[in-house]
Amino acid sequence: MTLWFVFALMTAAAIFAVLWPLGRRGRPQNDASEATVYKDQLAEIDRDLAAGLIGRPEAEAAHVEIGRRLLAAADDQRAPPAAASLKLRRVAALMALIGLPILSAAFYLPLGSPQLGDFPLAERMRSPGANQSLDNLVAQVEEHLEKNPTDGRGWNVLAPVLMRLGRYDEAVRAYRNSITYNGDSADRRADLGEAIAGVAGGVVTAESKAEFQRAVALDAADVKARYFLGVAAEQDGRKAEAAAIWNEMLASAASDAPWRPLVQAALVRVGGSSAPALPDGAMEAAKDMGEADRNAMIHGMVDRLATRLKQNGGDVEGWLRLVRAYMVMGDRDKAKSALTDARQAVANDAERLRQLNEGLKNLGLDG
Amino acid sequence: MIAEAGHYALVLALGLALIQSTVPIFGARWHDPALMNVARSTALAQMVFALGSFAALVTLHVTSDFSVVNVFENSHSLKPMIYKITGVWGNHEGSMLLWVSILALFGGLVAAFGNNLPLSLRAHVLAVQAWIASAFYLFILITSNPFLRIANPPIEGRDLNPVLQDIGLAVHPPMLYLGYVGFSISFSFAVAALIEGRIDAAWARWVRPWTLLAWIFLTLGIAMGSYWAYYELGWGGWWFWDPVENASLMPWLAGTALLHSAVVMEKRNALKVWTILLSILTFSLSLLGTFLVRSGVLTSVHAFATDPERGVFILLILCVFIGGSLSLYAWRASALKQGGLFAPISREGALVLNNLFLTTACATVFVGTLYPLALEVLTGDKISVGAPFFNLTFAPLFVPLLIAMPFGPLLAWKRGDLLGAAQRLFAAGIVALVTVAVIWAWTRGGSALAPLAIGLAVFVIAGALVDLTERIGLFRVPVAVVARRARGLPRSAWGTVFAHAGIGVALIGIVCETTWNSEYIGTMKPGDVTHVAGYELKLDRIMQRQGPNFREMVVPFDVSRDGRQLSTMTPSKRSFTTRETTTTESALLTRGVSQLYISLGETTADGAITVRIYHKPMVLLIWFGPVLMAFGGMMSLSDRRLRVGAPKPARAPRALQPAE
Amino acid sequence: MTRKQRRLTMIGGSLAVLGIAAALVLNALQDSIVFFSTPVMVAEKHIPPGRRFRLGGLVEKGSLVRGADLAVSFKVGDGSVTLPVSYKGILPDLFREGQGVVAEGALDTSGVFRADTVLAKHDETYMPKDVADALKKQGHWKDDYGAKAETEPGASQTAQGASQGVRE
Repeated sequence: MTLWFVFALMTAAAIFAVLWPLGRRGRPQNDASEATVYKDQLAEIDRDLAAGLIGRPEAEAAHVEIGRRLLAAADDQRAPPAAASLKLRRVAALMALIGLPILSAAFYLPLGSPQLGDFPLAERMRSPGANQSLDNLVAQVEEHLEKNPTDGRGWNVLAPVLMRLGRYDEAVRAYRNSITYNGDSADRRADLGEAIAGVAGGVVTAESKAEFQRAVALDAADVKARYFLGVAAEQDGRKAEAAAIWNEMLASAASDAPWRPLVQAALVRVGGSSAPALPDGAMEAAKDMGEADRNAMIHGMVDRLATRLKQNGGDVEGWLRLVRAYMVMGDRDKAKSALTDARQAVANDAERLRQLNEGLKNLGLDG
Repeated sequence: MIAEAGHYALVLALGLALIQSTVPIFGARWHDPALMNVARSTALAQMVFALGSFAALVTLHVTSDFSVVNVFENSHSLKPMIYKITGVWGNHEGSMLLWVSILALFGGLVAAFGNNLPLSLRAHVLAVQAWIASAFYLFILITSNPFLRIANPPIEGRDLNPVLQDIGLAVHPPMLYLGYVGFSISFSFAVAALIEGRIDAAWARWVRPWTLLAWIFLTLGIAMGSYWAYYELGWGGWWFWDPVENASLMPWLAGTALLHSAVVMEKRNALKVWTILLSILTFSLSLLGTFLVRSGVLTSVHAFATDPERGVFILLILCVFIGGSLSLYAWRASALKQGGLFAPISREGALVLNNLFLTTACATVFVGTLYPLALEVLTGDKISVGAPFFNLTFAPLFVPLLIAMPFGPLLAWKRGDLLGAAQRLFAAGIVALVTVAVIWAWTRGGSALAPLAIGLAVFVIAGALVDLTERIGLFRVPVAVVARRARGLPRSAWGTVFAHAGIGVALIGIVCETTWNSEYIGTMKPGDVTHVAGYELKLDRIMQRQGPNFREMVVPFDVSRDGRQLSTMTPSKRSFTTRETTTTESALLTRGVSQLYISLGETTADGAITVRIYHKPMVLLIWFGPVLMAFGGMMSLSDRRLRVGAPKPARAPRALQPAE
Repeated sequence: MTRKQRRLTMIGGSLAVLGIAAALVLNALQDSIVFFSTPVMVAEKHIPPGRRFRLGGLVEKGSLVRGADLAVSFKVGDGSVTLPVSYKGILPDLFREGQGVVAEGALDTSGVFRADTVLAKHDETYMPKDVADALKKQGHWKDDYGAKAETEPGASQTAQGASQGVRE
């Protein structure tokens, strides 16, 4: 409320500044012509002379010169008669009274945030809220780390909090430091990649993709990294590849993995849910299976895929999925042979070969 | 509340500026004094709101209100208070708000002290000022609003960038802005004169002091910026012909020309049309400077705002104001009455020559700065135009200017006596020649041109002194008379002497530094000794130190000369781990006006450290010169007569001279 | 002198000064300007050895080698091609692997860029504009993954490790 009152006061002051000269009248116009300037100058010279600031000869010389100009000016121009244009004055007054508030509102309302009060730091420190205690904690940890930058544990604690606060670029730095001082791990690489993507507004850039690839290289089963590699493919416009990655994640995941819904949703987004993945029934079934059974089911699926590909070798995406599946299952020999098969199958199609190679590189294989 | 009030004040300032830019024009058109007076009150109110808005932003930075995006992004609660304040204009949005606040301040000053201006002239001038202000208010509100908020304010700001925490960097932008924006006054007067179709007596009287004021700020700003680059960037250079530096040099050159042509106009009522053009050009170059710096259009070590939307907006402002004012000039200039006559050899002639060379030199800088841009737009080729270009173009144009400089003040108005002036400068010439001979005999190495250049600088300084002795009659009349004359000498004459001598002083510094600068770059271990320019520097030890938020490697050097211990220099290198930033703190040792300069490089694997040691002879003169020039400007500004506008004083002592 | 003569004198003098200035500018533009190139442009344009130009790009990660007596060498790349650079002197504070850099110098006969000036970026967020433009043109992350994976040393290294596992 006070704020609006202040705004009203300010607006009134601004309007007054326009109306004030309009309302004043009858003031003798002592400054309208050039002659007054010269008269003013003559008076100034006399003052200076009296004050001893200039010498008499100079003052006289200046008198003469200004006098000459004064005469010339008097000849030169007649000051135009002052005219009171009431209509214009009214328009001006209206502009001030109506135009000024409207214009101010038009600019301020979309731009300003009148509902927000001030948040000077000192005041906020005194009355910590729930969110602020977290912020305070961050500030404290940061301060601690400024002094002990090699404290890996501190970076470990700080980084995810910064992520949550949306301070991605700082999170990137924190994760980097964490990797430096705690050692490399798939988790940290994946987190770093996510932070880098956060800086880019959620876009998985080449830099962040490299981190995910490193994470996958460290631990082929790293969920976050694989998910984001899928996102990268999706953002890249290769939905099939994204779907393949996610399908495979779902295929290899525990049925109660908390991230399932997320990946499934992503899959629907790229329209890949109906790709040769698990039908819903199979999913349901998998849920109730034991570990061994589930493995058997997955193996069965992979085998089916392998058989299909032997018959129809042109499916580059399928090959990639197969190779990846073997990699995920830790079956390197089979992955290798699948790779060879894939190469042979598409060998006489340059375009598909290129796609295959790219895909392999993308998977972290450059064969 | 403070943030929103500041925001609203800015909006109101825009509204007032829009009224101020229209109503007075109609008032002048229909001769309505009340409408014309609207200019005055709105200019004052606009100044109050703009300054209030700026004060609000400063308050927000000081209180670390991180609910404001601008504060969040550019401040940090751990920053020292001084950098919290200077951080206000260390970023794009804040610096634009400072820019427009200074504009409003100048507008308000014209309104407050312009009582003796003809009413219609004042109305026009303030209206033109308001056009500029409106454009920049819109620019700020639409593209660079410093008052945008965050609903859930973070607890800590993001900027603790140590490189930018420097007092030199903090102070020189406002100085430059005071200079740039100060030229808006002469621009507004010029456009007003064109609109009115005549130049009042009040015109020159007002334009010169304002130009002088802007010029003083710009001179100091450029000098400070150069000194900052010298000690902060760590490689001892003080001028890089960087586009951003050129952007401030161009208005300075044009402004210097304007200053001199305004003298002719004030005293002799001549060169009116040219002065108007120069006023327009000077401010246009200031706008161009703002554009170059703010749009990030150039590759430059200074560029820190890069946003195409902003760039296009400023470009638009640039085109409208420069294009508009130049079209107006082309259309209306012929309507202005021509001024008085003078012979080519005369004080006026000398000032025309000065203008000619200054504007041409300015044009070469313009070409060198914008040619790469134009080429990139047209052909896609990227080139860089560096120091060699400017050495080949700028320097040759300055030589005749400097040779002619001492002659100017010795020539009489209207028609001068070149031979007489040359005779009076005989002594100065002798001094210069002796200097050249001595330096030639004394030094070895370096360019053969260097002694000549120093001779020229000495000639300029001696010439300024000759002018002084001539005026006060030193060596010719009794001491008492000399003292009286010296007291009676108009301060503007003293100002000329100081400013001209300042050029010579700076030139000596520039030539000595570039020619006889000696350097050592190498790796040193503790206990190692190296010799630079007769100084013996011993690397004492390498120690680590913990600062408040950085770790510091401090390397003390014992400096001695001829076996005598002089001092210890301690350059250091700070690493801010959390920001992954390293800064080099170079150490300077001043000996007279020369300096020793040490900055550190990397440490090598075997415990040695790479160091750069420079000896820079006479280097301080480079900045002492501009300070002298600014001092001369201030003396001239304080001259009562300037305000009285009586053009006589320069002629009174002149009348004595033919008696010789 | 009549008014006209005076005017002619002045106009003539002005034109003379402007003419001299124009001559100086044209002369200087021929001799002293320096072109900007990226490693790709260097490869495409076959810049002859000894011709000065400015080289801009990113310092390749892991390519910085310090030799004796302040000599350093590193590689500058712009997405697909890299160019070896040698330099003698102190690198600026902000010089870092993986960051933008602009170096001025010339190629020698063996195809190494001998730099005499090295400029690094000015603050945390600033990348030399020439470099940024060139990198954008060379292809963003979106354009071509294959090319990207080849030139990204970190990525290709891990990739090699994995494929070896497959081959064995």
